[in-house]
Amino acid sequence: MARLTVVAEERDGAGGGEANLRADGVTHVFETAGGPLMAVTDVSFTVEEGTFVGLVGPSGCGKSSLLQMMAGLLNPTEGRIVMGEEEIREPRPAEIGVVFQESSLLPWKSARENVEFPLYLRGVERSVREKKALEMLDLVGLGEFAERRPHELSGGMKQRVAIARGFCQDPSVLLMDEPFAALDEQTRMTLGDELLQIWERHKKTVVFVTHSLTEAVYLCDKVLVMSARPGRILKEIDIALPRPRTYDLMATETFGRLRAEIWELIRGGDRP
Amino acid sequence: MSGAGRLSAQIGIVVGIFLAWEAAVQTGVANPRIVPPPSQVLPMALAMLGDPEVLHHLWITSAQVMLAFVLVAPLGVAIGLLLGESDYFGRAFKPFFYFVASVPKSVFLPVFILAFGIGFTQKVAFGMFQAIFVLVISAIAAADSVSADYLKMARAYGASRRQIYQDIYLPAMLPVIVEGLRLGMIFNITGVLFAEMYVSRAGLGHLVANWGMSFEMVKLFAGILLAAVLSIAVNESLRWYEKRIGAWRG
Repeated sequence: MARLTVVAEERDGAGGGEANLRADGVTHVFETAGGPLMAVTDVSFTVEEGTFVGLVGPSGCGKSSLLQMMAGLLNPTEGRIVMGEEEIREPRPAEIGVVFQESSLLPWKSARENVEFPLYLRGVERSVREKKALEMLDLVGLGEFAERRPHELSGGMKQRVAIARGFCQDPSVLLMDEPFAALDEQTRMTLGDELLQIWERHKKTVVFVTHSLTEAVYLCDKVLVMSARPGRILKEIDIALPRPRTYDLMATETFGRLRAEIWELIRGGDRP
Repeated sequence: MSGAGRLSAQIGIVVGIFLAWEAAVQTGVANPRIVPPPSQVLPMALAMLGDPEVLHHLWITSAQVMLAFVLVAPLGVAIGLLLGESDYFGRAFKPFFYFVASVPKSVFLPVFILAFGIGFTQKVAFGMFQAIFVLVISAIAAADSVSADYLKMARAYGASRRQIYQDIYLPAMLPVIVEGLRLGMIFNITGVLFAEMYVSRAGLGHLVANWGMSFEMVKLFAGILLAAVLSIAVNESLRWYEKRIGAWRG
């Protein structure tokens, strides 16, 4: 337990709050052909620096819109997203990394070139970004597949490349938009575990959008449960499970209770 | 089947066709006055490649095809990308291209003769006309093929407008555009040869049409063979390039 204490102290020491991510009364309205569509309404929450926070809710509840607003890809119609002291109105690749689904890999680039793409965009020197990309691929266990193109990799491997790309710039915040949604259950569990191992070492602030409740409870420190459209935060649930997380936790009563609680909220929120 | 095994099987098929053709003529199944045997056609085709007069006509056809292609390729691709990327132009003009693309272009040939005469310019113009529709349509498809996921990812990582064009749009579209160029080339060759056969004073199409009318069957078949081999060579080299730059398509 000594190790955990050290980690906690480090977190306190570094916890100047520069990587706190906050939503203040965020509302987003899409203009569609059928008229305005309210995706999320009056959403407020805080993601503490160094924590792993999940965002769950029924399909179309606006959780992806919310994530895109945190990434600066979309601006709130009302309210604001704040990181530290600054409002986020546009992408900030150096501080906020985004992990998309595997379909976001560029198929004409090798795994390594995909991972170093964010560095390439910033004009980082070739040798530096190559070294960094290989380091990141090693981190996700794909060192020997660096020169393969996405079509030569399995779904799980592609998603690992997308994760490595998210980590490549060493951002303080990592936003993950249903990263494992396209994967089968077994691959998804393995990748979740690997992600946690990496996270334990790097302690980034993570916001993880998912529609898998098991995944949310297993990975997160806190889960934000959203209602059906227009999305609101129904409840913030603290996941009081010890870390590092292991599979046998899934069999515990606490795990089952937390999962059931989230499910009840989502189901209830669906009803008019 | 291994690559080498497949290649030898394919060569075998071609040789087999020529042998069957020869046998059909020799046994009297085919009338040699209408279908001359390959034993006469192949030497004639080879002799033509050393005949300055035939080479002159071949050169004229090639020049027309190349000029038409050099002019129409950037034009067609530019129009296609404009229609594919601009909502306004796309909605206004896309239907026009789809409709006219289905009309056989050959019915317009008399118009081209009246407008451009029967010389070099008219062949180039008609080749361009034949090719432009497939170029435009495939460039529209190329623009549509750029996944929104790539664009969202690039923007999240801070790509500038120029970087999005250079590092996302261009590589994503290139294989589809080259495929369109290859199809455009086929249509272009068809247009030029057809125009030459209809009315002209020079070119491979002109020779083939004349040999047919004067019943010079060995020369006619040799001419057809040359046109076929040259077209296949052009098509295959573009396809090789297309495969090379599109290897990532899996």
